[in-house]
Amino acid sequence: MQLNPFETLADPTRRRIVEALRGGERQVGEIVDEAGIHQSGVSRHLRILHESGFVSVRPDGQRRLYALRPEPFRELDAWLAGYRRLWEARLDRFGAALEERRRDRGATKKEPRK
Amino acid sequence: MNDTSAFAATDKAQAKVVIERTYRARVEELWELWTTKAGFESWWGPEGFRVEVRALEARAGGALEYDMIADAPDAIAAMKSMGQPLSHKTRGRFAEFKPVERLTLVHVIDFIPGSEPYESTIEVDFRATGDHARMVVTLHPHRDPQWTKMSAEGFRSQLTKLDKRFS
Repeated sequence: MQLNPFETLADPTRRRIVEALRGGERQVGEIVDEAGIHQSGVSRHLRILHESGFVSVRPDGQRRLYALRPEPFRELDAWLAGYRRLWEARLDRFGAALEERRRDRGATKKEPRK
Repeated sequence: MNDTSAFAATDKAQAKVVIERTYRARVEELWELWTTKAGFESWWGPEGFRVEVRALEARAGGALEYDMIADAPDAIAAMKSMGQPLSHKTRGRFAEFKPVERLTLVHVIDFIPGSEPYESTIEVDFRATGDHARMVVTLHPHRDPQWTKMSAEGFRSQLTKLDKRFS
């Protein structure tokens, strides 16, 4: 099953692997050391990260080097920006509703003075 | 390792969307917009939708039930094109309820085809600062990716249309 970016990063082990890859390309052994996760776990989660597009892999002689790919992070950014816009619009309406109530109250308060 | 040091985007996926607003009003007025029928109906929306509150129990653990009804022509057309009903019965509750300080609103998301029901929490904190009131809304989008994706995509196209019309 193809995971969406949120589901992919919902797993704490995968977040630790992503964290370890922030510094650049890493071999599996280096990720194991940095993330403090057992090798079998790292291999399994690297495969999931690779399948969902978060991580690229390239051979370098006998080694395999893993690195982060920017695309899913951009997708997350774009999605979150949309989510935030939706809420910004909602809170704009909140502010407008607040203003309207204040105006209505102001009007009723002033009336007796006339 | 702690999560606060994580990669920025990882953080975003994991953590929260926090929106702060300051209004020239008293905190009590802000509080009313969340905790009274007329107040809640006056803004919750979203754009092109109106809300009819069926139940609003202003207390900790109190129910909040409302219908979200597409009422602008564009919104009606959008819901139809997505195969969605024009009216959504929505259920939630006020989990925390500390008047004019803080509330949390939990929605029960049980209407996504192919998805188990789950809960989505919105935190709202209020604070008076001089003659202004500050409101901090904390959202947890990672908890409900499918629903928010559908709503963001559906309503965003709506918002774009409406922006064009009103600008």
